[in-house]
Amino acid sequence: MKSCPTMAIRVRNRKAKINYDRCIDCGECLRVCPYSAVIPMTTSTADLNKFTYKVALPSPVLYSQFGQHIMPNEILTVLKDTGFDYVYDEAVMCEMTSMAIEEYLEEHKSPRPMISSTCPVVVRLIQRLFPSLCELIIPIEPPREVAAKNLRDEISEKHKIPKDSIGIIHITPCAAKMVSINRPETMQKSHLDGALSIHEMYNDVMMKLKKTKRPSVLEKHHPISGIGIGWTIAGGEMRELKYTHSVSVSGVYDTIKILEDVESGKLKNIEYLECFICPDGCIGGPLTVENRFVARSNVLRLIRTYGDKKTVSTHVVHRLYKEKFFSFEAAVKPKPFPPLDKDRTMAIKKMELIEETFKKLPGTDCGVCGAPYCRTFAEDVARGEAKLQDCFFYIKRKERR
Amino acid sequence: MKDKVLFEQKFEINGGDFVNAGESCYKVKSILREIGIDSDIIRRISIAAYEAEMNVVMYAKHGVMHLLVYPGKILLKIEDKGQGIKDIELAMQPGFSTATEEMREMGFGAGMGLPNIKKNADAFDIKSTVGKGTKLNITFNLNSKNG
Repeated sequence: MKSCPTMAIRVRNRKAKINYDRCIDCGECLRVCPYSAVIPMTTSTADLNKFTYKVALPSPVLYSQFGQHIMPNEILTVLKDTGFDYVYDEAVMCEMTSMAIEEYLEEHKSPRPMISSTCPVVVRLIQRLFPSLCELIIPIEPPREVAAKNLRDEISEKHKIPKDSIGIIHITPCAAKMVSINRPETMQKSHLDGALSIHEMYNDVMMKLKKTKRPSVLEKHHPISGIGIGWTIAGGEMRELKYTHSVSVSGVYDTIKILEDVESGKLKNIEYLECFICPDGCIGGPLTVENRFVARSNVLRLIRTYGDKKTVSTHVVHRLYKEKFFSFEAAVKPKPFPPLDKDRTMAIKKMELIEETFKKLPGTDCGVCGAPYCRTFAEDVARGEAKLQDCFFYIKRKERR
Repeated sequence: MKDKVLFEQKFEINGGDFVNAGESCYKVKSILREIGIDSDIIRRISIAAYEAEMNVVMYAKHGVMHLLVYPGKILLKIEDKGQGIKDIELAMQPGFSTATEEMREMGFGAGMGLPNIKKNADAFDIKSTVGKGTKLNITFNLNSKNG
């Protein structure tokens, strides 16, 4: 209950309930709940079977999950064997997106700072809490979406399969991906068909990796991109940008803090701001298996191995950029949290009521009432969603009198 | 009845307290969000409030930010006990600043504070007495379609 940064959880009748008007899908609750009461939405295997051609699009985070000696190509090969017809290395698209972002920044000198669109939770947080900053989100789709769009076209043409019988599934560390697929913010329909968590895939891939005798005949993949793999850790996205005034932030509270500063006009001298809700970036996602410190070390090792050599041509990316291949279909729209009341006079009355109620509460933030803090409880009372009598201490004190 | 104050709150600002600088601005913002002020107006208020707060932190001993919500407007009064401004016209010019080298190194004192406040406000009024302090009245209209 207290882990929720937007205070969206209430416990009523022994059950934790999430208020979806306030939820930003950050996954903090998923990380901490000792009772596993929160279940992330992902695609089921049954859903997968309706596609005739199945494509796995693993987040490069997957490469950091199996120790330091297993290389991306092995993981991709084995992943394909778990029931896919094709696998695609998202890192390549990450590298291309880096180049597209650079072109965009070059072409548009203001406003500043531009904010990365990669983390779906950050996008939602901005819509909810900082709606006026929507215009600062860089209108470049994250790599997963661009990759899926491209794959669908290519595969459909190559194998003569109708586009809707191709299933493109993101293998993800992120609890919010499924939501961003079901309810995309910048397009009519997501290019992805579903998301499976790294968690769910882990055992299968691990067993198969053990059985594979190395060096086995590995399928040839595009050369692995060290630049792209860097996207999985905070600071990686802008590693390749030539802009020195870039800032990388990770973790939900630090992200909120820096967005407050952006809103006050404090950070105008910064070119590019990369925010990740998960600590240390996507490797800190709640659906990963390896602990994020080890994963980070694995990523750094992979970056060293593959180096900063470009694996895609600048020329090609430039052409695609001009064709708006990377661009948003629609701008991100503000979706602010509902105010206390639609009518301003009423909202102010309710705010005063909150202050009054708050003074009657013990200030212990005990959570017995089912709200995380005394102040949130006072808010619930003002909104008519709770009764002052729900406070145990308030009742006790009244009885004593 | 038009000028009835619907809501008001005061926030103390301590001069020289760079650690907590920006706090009043954050509090003002969260109140305005709760009562459903349009986000573009909140952003303008937020920029003006932050600049004004920083001016108090940098140049005064103590100040108070007073938020007043009226049916058709929001008034932000900032009053400080500080060194005051010698030449207001000059201070209003973009790029003019009396900030010390240290302050500039910290990223403050670009000379955009007062011009920025004026730019974001619908009405702006400044009074200052050298050696005594400065008073700012910053008004934001809510009557527009998105108020």
